[in-house]
Amino acid sequence: MKKSHPIRRVLLASAATVSGIVLLLSLKPATDSNSASAQGAAAQETAAAQESPQGGAAAAGTSTITGAATQTEYGVVQVRLTVAGGKITKAEAVQAPKGGTSDQKTALSVPKLNQEVVATQSADITSVSGATYTSGGYKKSLQSAIDKMKAAGANTAAPSQSSAAAAPAAQAKTVTGEVVSTEYGPVQVRITVAGGKITKADAVQAPSGGTSDQKTALAIPKLNQEAVAAGNANIDSVSGASYTSGGYKKSLQSALDKAGG
Amino acid sequence: MTTTLAGGRAARRQTMRRIRPRRSPATLLLLAVWAGAVGVLWLWWHNTPSIADQNGKILNAGRITGLLAGYLMALVVLQMARVPALERRVGSDRVARWHAMSGRYTLCLVFAHVFLIMWGYALQAGKTLSDIVQQTIDSVNQLPDMGKAAIGTGLFLLIGLSSIGGIRRRLPYDLWYHVHLLTYAAVFFTFWHQITTGNDFALTPIAKTVWYGLYGTVTALVVWYRILTPIRLNMRHRMRVEAVIEETPGIVSVLIGGRKLHRMGAEAGQFFRWRFLAPGMRFSSHPYSLSAAPRPNMLRITVKAIGDHSARLRELRPGMKVWAEGPYGALTSQRRTRGKVLLVAGGVGITPMRALFETLPGAAGDITLLYRANTTQDLALWDELAKIADERGARLMYAVNSPDGERPDISADSLRRKLPDIDNHDVFMCGPPGFAQSVYEALRGAGVPARRIHHESFEM
Repeated sequence: MKKSHPIRRVLLASAATVSGIVLLLSLKPATDSNSASAQGAAAQETAAAQESPQGGAAAAGTSTITGAATQTEYGVVQVRLTVAGGKITKAEAVQAPKGGTSDQKTALSVPKLNQEVVATQSADITSVSGATYTSGGYKKSLQSAIDKMKAAGANTAAPSQSSAAAAPAAQAKTVTGEVVSTEYGPVQVRITVAGGKITKADAVQAPSGGTSDQKTALAIPKLNQEAVAAGNANIDSVSGASYTSGGYKKSLQSALDKAGG
Repeated sequence: MTTTLAGGRAARRQTMRRIRPRRSPATLLLLAVWAGAVGVLWLWWHNTPSIADQNGKILNAGRITGLLAGYLMALVVLQMARVPALERRVGSDRVARWHAMSGRYTLCLVFAHVFLIMWGYALQAGKTLSDIVQQTIDSVNQLPDMGKAAIGTGLFLLIGLSSIGGIRRRLPYDLWYHVHLLTYAAVFFTFWHQITTGNDFALTPIAKTVWYGLYGTVTALVVWYRILTPIRLNMRHRMRVEAVIEETPGIVSVLIGGRKLHRMGAEAGQFFRWRFLAPGMRFSSHPYSLSAAPRPNMLRITVKAIGDHSARLRELRPGMKVWAEGPYGALTSQRRTRGKVLLVAGGVGITPMRALFETLPGAAGDITLLYRANTTQDLALWDELAKIADERGARLMYAVNSPDGERPDISADSLRRKLPDIDNHDVFMCGPPGFAQSVYEALRGAGVPARRIHHESFEM
């Protein structure tokens, strides 16, 4: 029957728990071997993004449609569909959450979701358990891609559909800005200009790995929107991602210079 | 003289042969609990390759607290499943204290988990801490089983609030108890989101199986020991009130008859939880110690009128049905390691001591009972104690306040004066918390090692 000291016990338990959790968290590395594959995925993604407009133009009857980038709790999800003869022949995620457990979840869920889309030919697919947010974001992006596909089908005219811009092919011009290196990695902006206006902006390269993944996912979509809205390089930096924003602006300016000249 | 001495020796040898102390499994159980916690942390460690940033740290802190809460929740329920190994070997009082302690800790983990996860999600969605409420609402609406989890967390909040010291003392016991029973619902509601949204269960299927196993086992034990075992016990023994006897002003004995009561396996020093099926009493059950060794057709409890329930016992009439659960408690002869025993009773704490005084094996002079009360009128059961002492050659001492209200001297010195070989005794003690604490210190001062002071206390 030892004397009990309730307050001391509460303090001890709280201190031990908090310091134990902090210790565990600090023992985990910020990046790990998987980050290499994450970067690999990022590289693939940019490659895919570059290829997509051409891929869309190439084969007759086959087109690719990229859905809207959807922000989820774990990062951005963006779906690209390959459509042939009015049917979805292929579905893939151009962007999906990465870093930490997200890598595993993405690896777990995205292939399943891709298969389901081809099987059901609709956005009415079941979520993968354990990857609910990713599944939700995937569905939204998929829905937007399917909407675009249907719209294109109604118009029948356009054989090729590219992501955001329903590009009136003739005057549309894609210009890629210079690579600007920042403290966190290179940034390169590509814009689509039609009728003297920026109809689309995206980052061909952006910092990746570690916290950069999330910052990029956070900042680049905003910057892309801003660039289209402003029509020039005079856009606001995204707070918390000022280096990326700075690099983006420089590359954007160089692209605008090229487009103008 | 020589013969009595020899007889004493022979009898003592006889006694010692019957002393088989059983170690409490508490240490082993605690080791198993810690090992389980390490396993849970390993699960998280295994499934988390890296943590990118501040936001990731918040989320992962949320995951760790969530996993630990899920694990401990099962154990908190298990502690109240009335498993015999816990109730009779570790001791109901100790398990109840574990339950209170780990319950509070687990609820803190639950609330920390909810806060950290929602904060982490809000940050990940590009929002800030101030959006945490909106984030919580969104998550509850969008994620599977989160609606249930929200209901469960609400129940936990209610249960936690009702158990805060100040609030609990103001609530009637029955109300508090029935609110507390909602824990089962809360655990049920919060279980499912662990499986469907839990990162680690999605990534490690074996963990899911282990989790189902843990909760399944606890459910089975609760159903078996809290529901089926009492039903079987009461179907078999069919207990009824035989008589109610007023021992001293404010202290009554209730005699309970039934069939084959010796087959219940109750030992002196143990208690049952009693539910008297009388108007206004059938919805509450209370723990009262047996105040005499169980006989084939009769059990006896002796109760002091302290609360509503105990005060109403005098209104019981012969023939009323009784529902009992038990026997519970570890303050039995199994704790004994020495031939000589000192029993210390404070007030109505005499009840289990009276039963032990009657039944503990021992030669003349081996057993001593020290009975503390305010006045000689408050010495309930004194006559029968004197009779037992006389028959067994046991020593019986009492300590009451002096006529001017001064407390008797129970100190290391006075104990040593009365029992020069007190450091060679096992001590069994039952009494109010303050009394028990001061006697404990006096005993330690008199040289009795802590492992030989056996005490049961139901304060939280």
